[in-house]
Amino acid sequence: MLLCDFHIHTKYSDGSVELRKTIDIFGQAGFDAIAITDHVVNGDNSIGKLAHRLKLSVTAKNFDEYMSNVQYEAERAWNKYEMLVIPGVEITKNYIAPEKSAHILIIDIKDFIPACAEYEKIFLEAKKQNALIVACHPHNMSDVSMDTLFLWNNREKYARYIDAWEIANRDDVFNIVSLKKYPYIANSDFHKARHLYSWKTLLNCEKNIDSIKKCIRYNKGVAITLFRN
Amino acid sequence: MEIFYVFAGITILGLIAYGLQIWAVRATLKEQVIGNRLWVIGKKNYCLSPITYRPSPVFPISILKPLKGLDDNLFDNLASFCTQDYPEYEIIFSLQDYNDPAYKVARKIKDKYPEKNISIIVKKCEDGLNPKVNNLIPAYKASQYDYVLISDSNVMADKDYLKEIVKHMKDPNVGIVSNVIKGVGGSTISSIFENLHLNSFVIGGVCFLNKFLKMPCVIGKSMLLKKSDLEAIGGFTAVKDVLAEDYVIGERIHKMGKKVVLSNHAISNVNEYWGVSKFLNRHTRWGKLRWRIGGIKYISELIGNPVLISLIPILLWEISRTTVSFALFVFISKIIGDLYLGKITHSNSNPMVYLLSPVKDIIIGLIWFVPILSSTVVWRGNRYIIGKDSMLSPYPETRGPQKVARLFGVVVGMWSWRYRIVNAIKTRIA
Repeated sequence: MLLCDFHIHTKYSDGSVELRKTIDIFGQAGFDAIAITDHVVNGDNSIGKLAHRLKLSVTAKNFDEYMSNVQYEAERAWNKYEMLVIPGVEITKNYIAPEKSAHILIIDIKDFIPACAEYEKIFLEAKKQNALIVACHPHNMSDVSMDTLFLWNNREKYARYIDAWEIANRDDVFNIVSLKKYPYIANSDFHKARHLYSWKTLLNCEKNIDSIKKCIRYNKGVAITLFRN
Repeated sequence: MEIFYVFAGITILGLIAYGLQIWAVRATLKEQVIGNRLWVIGKKNYCLSPITYRPSPVFPISILKPLKGLDDNLFDNLASFCTQDYPEYEIIFSLQDYNDPAYKVARKIKDKYPEKNISIIVKKCEDGLNPKVNNLIPAYKASQYDYVLISDSNVMADKDYLKEIVKHMKDPNVGIVSNVIKGVGGSTISSIFENLHLNSFVIGGVCFLNKFLKMPCVIGKSMLLKKSDLEAIGGFTAVKDVLAEDYVIGERIHKMGKKVVLSNHAISNVNEYWGVSKFLNRHTRWGKLRWRIGGIKYISELIGNPVLISLIPILLWEISRTTVSFALFVFISKIIGDLYLGKITHSNSNPMVYLLSPVKDIIIGLIWFVPILSSTVVWRGNRYIIGKDSMLSPYPETRGPQKVARLFGVVVGMWSWRYRIVNAIKTRIA
């Protein structure tokens, strides 16, 4: 089984650990596959504008640099730890009302996707790039101020685009995902070194990007585990 | 004013002791085994004549690595033992449980170095109360060579490490070789404190005891010894219920008439992402251990903390120009001393972190009192009562604090039921 985490932030957005050190934290702990998913924040409201001003978002401007650094680190991680590092982003649509907010992981992204685009456009662009679409923390979390409920509230409309839903995020478990029998994965939403110890995904597939994407999409051979020291 | 003079006197004594520690570290690090003799390397190289080493063939070594959980830098730590410039050795990773996260790292290391003689032993051993010794017993049974190196999972060694420590074993009177430890890394405040402590108090204390008092002070992070010597003192079974198994092994081998050698080949203890609780837990545990072993000698540690002692006149007497200036002088002296130790041990720390050195000393000074008040230790998830000479006994179930905790648990349980009901309703509506 591959030990995986597909929701990791670095200093490219609001993470507190640099990209290289983040890769090393997971490599030193024996992980098999991870995705680096820094925020791409919508800049169409004051919250988003503030995030851009504070440089808490990957932007169209620095996306290429972000991708090339992730690729460089991916090569290093493979050579040193035999750990697969997949580039990704977390499309972050933040609003004051949690019912309007949504966070979407685009894993194995190739080209920049702006977060202020409409949902359909984002999903279709991600599909075009053959990226994996994951709905992050889709229901009520222990920290109420961080709730992102838009995708769950509009699941009838958008579920067909979504490859998997986070059934667990760091310490929170969303049993509603299980009740609806949606495909699932579990992630740490890593921002700090201590977030290493959190919910993770175990995949029974080969260690390459295509097999991993296929395994998650078909949701066979997927298990979750609470990774603790 | 008398109070100030008394404490100023104790502080100066502490500073002198600290100066001697620095001297001991410097002298230890300058020693080198060249050819068959022990040399002191400096402006004028000279030979320490009484110690003569007989040239002999290289000994094959069994490296025993007890693993439990993830240490910072675990992959690199283990990998550093696979790249040793040494002709014949085996590495035995020993775990109690396949679900231990370190198992996956050990597997990866074994796969990465297929040409090395690496074995992974997963065996539940509950012979004693010391979890590290329980982990070592199956590894020891599986080891094939006459020389065993007990090496903690949180140390990283350079490729000459085995070659350097084995040199001391050429002297047939040497029973055990231990190493100087330096703390490296530090991305959190607690890791920085830990490394500052290793690079001042621990290294200074070990070298001081070794140089001036000729006391065997073995640190279990690296211990090379002969199986026959270990078995002569009763093997691991003899230390299965003691917390300071390293110290006890060293002491018993010393009593047997064998030399306990401190190698100046420094090995790194990488501490990168420690939390506050881990730092406090380790140092209260170590404090309790030293209190139980050293007894009244434990007081010398407080006297050897000039930073804390220099603050006492400010707290007990008054905040005056004299008391504050004196404390500042002590703080600056300690910062400079620690900076120098960091430089000579090549611990690669950012010089700015040494400004935190007095803060660390104050925290360590406050922790010093805990062992006098409590005899309970928590180690690797287990709780014990620590007795004389660090002898462990199981923590009884019905102690006072646990009763309170159980009562508290009932109250918490009521709230968790409320939470579960509300959550179930929420889920169904969703």
